[in-house]
Amino acid sequence: MTDRILILDDDEQLALAYHEHFTALGYRVDCAQELEEAETLLCHFPYSVVITDLRLSKLGFGGLELVKHIRELALKTRIVVLTGYGWPELQSEASAQQVDAFLRKPARLADLVHTVSQFTGGQA
Amino acid sequence: MRKSLLETILEPGHLSVCFQPIFRLNGRLNQVHALEALIRGPQGTNFESAEVLFDYVRRKKAEPLVDRACLTAICTAARDLPPAFRLNVNVHSATLGQSPEFVTFFHKQAGKHGLGLQRFTVEIVEHAPTRNIPALMRNIADLRDSGVRIALDDVGLGQSNYRMMLDCHPDYFKLDAYFVQGLCVDRKRRAVVESVVTLAAALGSAVVAEGVESLGDLGVLEQLGVELVQANVLCNAMPAQDLLATGLLQSGLMAFEGGSKEREAKEPKNTAASSQDEEPAKLAASSAG
Repeated sequence: MTDRILILDDDEQLALAYHEHFTALGYRVDCAQELEEAETLLCHFPYSVVITDLRLSKLGFGGLELVKHIRELALKTRIVVLTGYGWPELQSEASAQQVDAFLRKPARLADLVHTVSQFTGGQA
Repeated sequence: MRKSLLETILEPGHLSVCFQPIFRLNGRLNQVHALEALIRGPQGTNFESAEVLFDYVRRKKAEPLVDRACLTAICTAARDLPPAFRLNVNVHSATLGQSPEFVTFFHKQAGKHGLGLQRFTVEIVEHAPTRNIPALMRNIADLRDSGVRIALDDVGLGQSNYRMMLDCHPDYFKLDAYFVQGLCVDRKRRAVVESVVTLAAALGSAVVAEGVESLGDLGVLEQLGVELVQANVLCNAMPAQDLLATGLLQSGLMAFEGGSKEREAKEPKNTAASSQDEEPAKLAASSAG
């Protein structure tokens, strides 16, 4: 079965670039713009990996809320958090929610692909 | 920044409508009693399915806005359907509890497309407890005064509770598919359905069984006195033009190969119907219900 990835990032260009790249690698990729959209998708579709930024100012909420939501639902979805500099408290709280991987922004696409592939058995 | 999903949903043309007949079981000749309008979300997206779409809408607490958009789409789609058939539309209880002007909007939309309000049944969908019961009751009373009938949707599940049965005086109980599917092989489901039929009769309501997928279940429903069914085994939901093309709406009658006895003979008790058995009785469908 094709692994499904959910991307949550308020940088549209970046989300689009991730979408195109992971789609080309054979993954099924969805992008959400807001918490409710992401929560709905997680409720109805099986995602192997969620990629989210922790601080999503344009979207009016933090990626941390989504991380908590996933853990509350006890989903098996692996979580990759992209985080910028200067947010040690957020990162600490995210660690407490058992985030599977942190990547510092701007992350190299190759590093992100490598991380995701570790959680999907190395293939889409 | 691209439009939000909610903004997209609310734009004209992004919601589409399918109609599924509700049949009155009548031995060898089932009669179309009404057509339920079923909304589909933006085509080709994850939100095309009504289940996913309305889950999102409820998380956004946008039921009143989206219910209006749905009603607009339904009235537009229903204008070519023969006037002989009733039209069922789903409305959230949150909409009726929060929007005092909803009935006025309903009047305008129906009137714009030449649809008499007396043709409509409003199916009240209650996924969360209604906070403003007086407003809900006022809207229901206004709908009734306009000739609209009231149904309580998803009976047996979620928030469609006994209080709503008493407060709303529904003309119909829509019995959820959860209790219907597998009825012919599950005595516990049968007990639940029997109790709903008894309760509905005592309250002066009719029961509509939703999501009938097998002839065996259909036969048991008939035995239990359920006269109205929404059955994929008879006809799936489909766009108005496709439904018109089936010819079903010309007479409103669907000849059936056999009544209850024949159904029982086809499907011995405690044996689920095979999908092959069901095919001859089913209309070709262009979209899933």
